[in-house]
Amino acid sequence: MTKVLVIDDEAPIRLLCRVNLEAEGMAVIEAADGPSGVEKARDEGPDVILLDVMMPGLDGWRVAEQLLEDERTIGIPIIFLTARAEFRDRARGLDIGGVDYVTKPFNPLELAPLVQSLLDRLDRGERDDLRAEKLSELRTLMESE
Amino acid sequence: MPLLVIAAGYVALAAWAWLSLGILVGLAVAFFVPVVTSRRRAEAPQTPAAPDGARASSSDDSSSAALAEALERERFIARISARVRSELAVDELLRVAIEETAKELRVQRCFIRLGARGESPTAQWQAEGVEAIHDRDQLAVSNLAVKKRQTVAVGDVETAPELEQSIGAREKLLAIGTRAALAVPIVVFDELIGVLALHRTTPQRWTDDEIALTEAVANEIGLSVRVAQLLRENELRLLQQTTLFRIAAVLGESLSLTDTLDTLARAAAEALKGAFAAVLTPRGATMELAAGAGLPPKLAEALQDGLPESADCLRAAADDRHVLASPDVTRDDRFEQSWQALAQEVGYAALLAIPAASPRAERSALVVVFFAGEREFTDEDLELARQLGDAATAALERSELFEAERTARALSQQLARTGGALATELDPAAVLEEVVQQAPALLGADACAVRILEEDELVISAASGKGAEEAIGTRAAATAGLSGDVFQSRSPLALDDLAAEARVGGTDEILSAGYAAYLGVPLSGPKGTLAGVLSVYAWRPRDWRPEEIEALLALAGNTSAALANAELYSSVSLEKERSVAILANIADGIVAVDRDGCVVLWNAAAEEITGVPQTEAIGHTTMQVLQRELESPDEETRTSGQRLVSLSRGGDEVWLSLSEAVMRDPLGAVAGRIFAFRDISADRMVEHVKSDFVAAVSHELRTPLTSIYGFAETLLRQDVPFGDEERRIFLGYIASESERLTEIVDQLLNIARLDAGDLQVERGRIDLGSVVSELVASVEESGAMNGHRFEVDLPEEPLAAEADPDKVRQVFNILVENALRYSPDGGTVTVGARRNADRVEVRVVDEGIGIPSAERDRIFRKFYRAESAARDGAAGTGLGLFIAKELVLAMGGRIWVDSTEGEGSSFSFELPAARE
Repeated sequence: MTKVLVIDDEAPIRLLCRVNLEAEGMAVIEAADGPSGVEKARDEGPDVILLDVMMPGLDGWRVAEQLLEDERTIGIPIIFLTARAEFRDRARGLDIGGVDYVTKPFNPLELAPLVQSLLDRLDRGERDDLRAEKLSELRTLMESE
Repeated sequence: MPLLVIAAGYVALAAWAWLSLGILVGLAVAFFVPVVTSRRRAEAPQTPAAPDGARASSSDDSSSAALAEALERERFIARISARVRSELAVDELLRVAIEETAKELRVQRCFIRLGARGESPTAQWQAEGVEAIHDRDQLAVSNLAVKKRQTVAVGDVETAPELEQSIGAREKLLAIGTRAALAVPIVVFDELIGVLALHRTTPQRWTDDEIALTEAVANEIGLSVRVAQLLRENELRLLQQTTLFRIAAVLGESLSLTDTLDTLARAAAEALKGAFAAVLTPRGATMELAAGAGLPPKLAEALQDGLPESADCLRAAADDRHVLASPDVTRDDRFEQSWQALAQEVGYAALLAIPAASPRAERSALVVVFFAGEREFTDEDLELARQLGDAATAALERSELFEAERTARALSQQLARTGGALATELDPAAVLEEVVQQAPALLGADACAVRILEEDELVISAASGKGAEEAIGTRAAATAGLSGDVFQSRSPLALDDLAAEARVGGTDEILSAGYAAYLGVPLSGPKGTLAGVLSVYAWRPRDWRPEEIEALLALAGNTSAALANAELYSSVSLEKERSVAILANIADGIVAVDRDGCVVLWNAAAEEITGVPQTEAIGHTTMQVLQRELESPDEETRTSGQRLVSLSRGGDEVWLSLSEAVMRDPLGAVAGRIFAFRDISADRMVEHVKSDFVAAVSHELRTPLTSIYGFAETLLRQDVPFGDEERRIFLGYIASESERLTEIVDQLLNIARLDAGDLQVERGRIDLGSVVSELVASVEESGAMNGHRFEVDLPEEPLAAEADPDKVRQVFNILVENALRYSPDGGTVTVGARRNADRVEVRVVDEGIGIPSAERDRIFRKFYRAESAARDGAAGTGLGLFIAKELVLAMGGRIWVDSTEGEGSSFSFELPAARE
């Protein structure tokens, strides 16, 4: 069973993610702030992490950095959940090492298929392709604007 | 001119060599001719040397007595030859010859007359009791011999037919006791130079031997006399040469005109053995004393102011270039009485004036030698004088060339100094003042004036010297006077002696002060126009030498250049002052660096923007001053206008919008750079803050929207059967998040109203205590406490305030939200209110991250969020405290904060208490 860690300071968002991911048969672990998120990632070893960016204290960027610095968590794909819509924020997420980003507000029903297809592609060893795809997608968006 | 001296030396040496050779040849001839003659005599004694009948027939030469006699006579001739030839003084030579001959031939009278004719013998000897010859007629036989150019022998005066022709001759001869006479012409190299004659008081036929002997003696005398004459002539020439050599030598020694003239005077006095001498040189119309040797003070004084008219003949001699000899001045009517009186007074009798012409000068100088006693001037004296004149001429010429060179050199040095002084002068008036001081010094003149053209008039703009300074400001038509002539002709005008010029009237303001000489040159203005006239004046007449005129022209050139410079400088400095004033008042920082990158300009705005004072910046590179280069690293951005550059100003980062321009010299090389910049830190901060605000608002709006949209979509799922409880929770979130969204929108609306200035405040009497309690309860209820704990500190009695309850709620909400948001680790949030005189104070205290002191002033600004907050990713629009402040102010209150970083913050606001 796919295990998803949701790190967000907003309780409603965590609930939203849990309800909709569990409905698709995934297990959900929650963390309300950065430090507990990092801790849970190490302890629980989730398959994927949904990470909010704007959190008081330790923000999402630094959480991602800590996770990617740690051997135990380096391999866990991170999907940023962010209300920061600017391109530079999205680019930053990819730069840090995220595999994808989801901009708030999002349709919670699409969350589980997104996570699943990502994991499938990662299983097929397409991690680099995925990143390159996301970057070119971002570039196209930026250029079209 | 040493070459001339050497050349003159060679000529003199050559002359001397020729002369010496001539003497040697003469001597050789003198030696050989007598021998030949005597041999001729010996070999052909019979050959008649005199007319028939005048000579006896040959004697009996076979007798040994006769032979002995002949030998004796030969010996006599040899002896007398030796005597006369060893004698170089003609008088002595003649005396010896006649005495010896008379003795040898036992005659009573013997004499010699030199020259073809003459009244009396040059030398004569007679036996005691015999009358000397004193009459021309007593020389009848001699004259005959001269006339015939052959020996005349008269055995008896009474009967001699030769005396028939000259009337009274016989009687005259007889009267002096002469009965026999023998006259032999003295001929040397075919030239008859005199006659040797013998008289006897008894009639007696002259023997052939006697005749031969006399002829031989005559021959000897002739040769010796000629040799002696040659020697004497030579001696004389030698003497002259020596004198001239000495003069030439001393004249060659010193080259300056003064020294030459002094030497000339001394040499002239020495050579002609005069008592003293003077050299007069032409000056203007007259002549003045230029040098003297041993001149009595009185005479020097008389000559000092020029040659007096009483000796005008001297000036005439100089002008005509002829030697004037006055053996006795007091009896010479060419001189006027006063000059004659002066001669007597200073103690001279004769004078010799020798012109010394210089090819450069129009008129000659005059060397005057004075002699203590009366003096007849011999040909030799005059010849010497002539040669002295030539030597003087050469010396003067040489010296004048030297002087010209020296003057030109001195002038050019002086000009260079003057030019240097003028070049550094930057005030036009000071340039003119400098020129009128320098010009007289340059030319040895006494006054100077600069006239500048102003509306067809020449105005004396600067002047120096007596009579000139008073004329400053005087105006005259540009065509009037000497300077007018200079101006119109655009060429120099030099007048040596105004007294000698017919043209001069009172047309020059300065001349009327009594100046005698004038030199004016045109003064050019910019672009070849004529600006005026530069003129100098001298009290005494003088020659303006060509190099002096050139020098004044050069000075005029310097003056023009200096004036142009000075004018340029004043306009440039005016321009500069203007620029400086502009630069000082401009808001942009302006910095100029030279080609080495050193700062040469640093205006007030640059000081303010960079925080570096001008004094510390000038002379240093921007790297030294600002710790960074201002110059753009690549050409493209350099020319493309504005660049963004950051600097550190006392720890703060300052952002500059900078543009750059390259200054190039006329050859196109980079001569420096100018940077213009303005401080856009504030603009940049606003930009930055706005961008953050947009991001924050975006987050603040998107977060509740995500919940509302997400739960709505979730509830719409058909595939998941949610329980009632779940649905209630979902809908609860939708409701609360909608409320949150509304709040944010309200905030934004408030801001919009505040910006528009139409914030509505409805003040009324409210109880602050109950407002606070209600709000605390509602927050606790909403579940937003997030691990925090409220502590409420309210007094018992109501706290009535004059305020708008909605606005107070908003403010309180903002403070509480902040307290919760910025104390992420939880803790106590203390909320209190109290009465404070006529104010009511509310405070919200947290145990959160606190606010750095530097940020405490800024947090109430619009869009501002504490840096630490933004960095930590805390949510918020950055509007809350701004809105709170504006609302409190609108209600007549105030808001403030106390905080310790890391320990928490205490926000307070107070409002007017409601009147009882």
